[in-house]
Amino acid sequence: MEKMNALFTLWEYCLTFVYLPLDLISKWVTDMFNLSMDILWNLPSYSIRFLTFNAKPLLQVLIFPGLAFILVFAIIAVWFERKFLARAMLRVGPYYCGKRSGVLQVFADFIKLFMKEIIIPEDIDWFFFVMMPVLLPTIPALSLILIPFDQNWVLWDVGSLSLPMFFAIAGLAPLIPIFAGWASNNKYTYIGAFRVAYMYISAEIPLVLCGAAVAIMAGSFDLLKIVEAQRNMWFAIPQFIGFVIFFLGIMIEAERTPFDIPVAEVELVLGWRTEFSGILFGFTMMAEYVMFQAWTLLFITLYLGGFNGPNILGSTMYSHIFWFLLKFAVLVAIIILLRCVFPRLRMDQMLRLGWFYLTPLAVLNLIIVLAMKLWGIY
Amino acid sequence: MTKPYFEPDIMRISWGPQHPMSGQTRILLDVDGEKVYRIIADLGFTHRGIEKILENRTFLKGIIPMERLVMADTPNIGLGYVSAIEEALGIEVPERAHWIRSLMCEMARINSHLYAFGLQAESTGYFPAVFLWTTVDRAVLLELFEELTGARWSFNFFLPGGVHADLPDGFEDKVIEGVHYLRRRFQDYWVAMVENAIFEMRCDDVAILKPEDAIRLGATGPVLRGSDVAMDVRRDEPYAAYGDLDFEVITESACDSMARTKVRFREIGQSLSMMEQIANEIPSGPFRTRVPLFVRAKAGEVLSRVESARGELGVHLFTDGGMNPYRVKINSPTLRNMFVFERMAELDEILVADIPVVINSIDPWYLDSDR
Repeated sequence: MEKMNALFTLWEYCLTFVYLPLDLISKWVTDMFNLSMDILWNLPSYSIRFLTFNAKPLLQVLIFPGLAFILVFAIIAVWFERKFLARAMLRVGPYYCGKRSGVLQVFADFIKLFMKEIIIPEDIDWFFFVMMPVLLPTIPALSLILIPFDQNWVLWDVGSLSLPMFFAIAGLAPLIPIFAGWASNNKYTYIGAFRVAYMYISAEIPLVLCGAAVAIMAGSFDLLKIVEAQRNMWFAIPQFIGFVIFFLGIMIEAERTPFDIPVAEVELVLGWRTEFSGILFGFTMMAEYVMFQAWTLLFITLYLGGFNGPNILGSTMYSHIFWFLLKFAVLVAIIILLRCVFPRLRMDQMLRLGWFYLTPLAVLNLIIVLAMKLWGIY
Repeated sequence: MTKPYFEPDIMRISWGPQHPMSGQTRILLDVDGEKVYRIIADLGFTHRGIEKILENRTFLKGIIPMERLVMADTPNIGLGYVSAIEEALGIEVPERAHWIRSLMCEMARINSHLYAFGLQAESTGYFPAVFLWTTVDRAVLLELFEELTGARWSFNFFLPGGVHADLPDGFEDKVIEGVHYLRRRFQDYWVAMVENAIFEMRCDDVAILKPEDAIRLGATGPVLRGSDVAMDVRRDEPYAAYGDLDFEVITESACDSMARTKVRFREIGQSLSMMEQIANEIPSGPFRTRVPLFVRAKAGEVLSRVESARGELGVHLFTDGGMNPYRVKINSPTLRNMFVFERMAELDEILVADIPVVINSIDPWYLDSDR
């Protein structure tokens, strides 16, 4: 009998292995059901609470330094470039879409690019070919989160890491054209990709050296403190050499005209972008403007006083953002209009400029700043 | 050439015919990275058999297909064929017709050189602004052409024995007005191109063609004169009114791409002064001697040479006593200069970025090389 009892106990013990999970699962299901019903029932109040806690970051990500700002800038810059450079060519530019101003032409082009077939050539690396153009606008857009538009309007305040962080994020960008050019399996894209590699290496070193000089002068790597330090005088005045080098540097990084060597149309068809079509090409075009935007904003932050300016709009924050955007607009217009007075440099001349002129001058700039700091002039 | 330390890894690029800057030709480039080791020009994409067409047409009807060789420069090309016919048929041309011909040839030369500037500016990576400025300024010449001939582009204005029509009333004043306008504009081009620092960097010391090489390879026109060889058919064997006109043969001693561009610039100055001289001193008289529509030439052969905008054009005309030419052999300037272009990688160090600059300093017109 005892044996039977023991067997029975064993049987029951075995059954628990079945019942226990069933019990747990049923409990989990009822819990989940209750929870989800609870969430559904309270969804309006939950979402209101979520939005009240995260309103500012959401607004920043979706609208101001984020998505909407990037898209609107790209649209306005493309429109400005097409309409105003057309005047230099004795043309009127886009004319029919959006009446005489031609504003809607950009949207029309975007829709056209979106609807077009994406032609994918034979024998390419699928993953890199499709992924890289999609990834391309993301990295420079990511670096926008570090730019301070006001003391209280920084998307991601990393304190004393923000300047090195910007260079680290933006320094990733040239890898993508190189991968894309290699993956396209075309000789023109191959040459274009290597031009990108040479060009960015020769430009990034002077840029980092100039950034170091600015950080030394401000006494911090924090972009907010750098802006604070320029409250009385813009760094463009004491560091004029660095100002000029950085100006050339952002034109190189954004591939603006005297330095649009990787996509030289008359030499390499369209450089590393040759094989992209449809919306993939649209992404590469957009990436150019996002890159331009990120570096120009950094340039203003480092040399042109950032958001500093007289309070004219009543609120400090709004006037800070206003001054920042005004400086940005003027600088972008200047860089775009420079396109009609310069031909393109050759690759070897570009490298000579980068290594023989910009880098030594950036070192000289650093030494001057150190000396000023040492003797307490600034 | 010195031997490199390592064997280059050659990659062959097909540059054209579907390329933004190639025109109607294909150029094969053997490159290692940026350096070009060999250039092969693959001509013949626009072969229309003009030499054969000319054999099947009467002398007069042949002028029309002949002008299609170089559309930017039709008077010079047409004059080459017309003067060959005149020599074969023994036709005298009145003095005034010669002067009108010279006027049109110089206007066409300016037109063609302006087109070359636009392409040269664009090939250095200039925004197309300069190209469109030159296009606008060519309209001044095209309007003069239109008033004189009724056409803006292919004129068919020269006939054996003279020209189609006399100058309209007040045409001389309009020519002088146009000359003044273009002189003013050329200051702008000089500033935008020759004095622009980056344009200078892109063109100076690129593709140096030494005088002995230029002669050996058979360069002609502004390419030859850019290599410091003073040779110009207008001065050496004066035709039309060039014997009476006062001009100098432009040469540049730098022998590079910039020198070729500068030769074109300064030649335009000479052409403008010639236009002014013609407008002021054109003799009066008949503009044409009547020639019967269908004529038979005596058997023989005739060679006529003219200096077109791209260089010397030779027309070798064989006649067998019929109403058509027996054979026409055209020696076109672009073909001769393309041979020079093919050797450029051996003569000087050429990078991939230099290819558009070099080829537009040659100023090719591919239809001309594929007769």
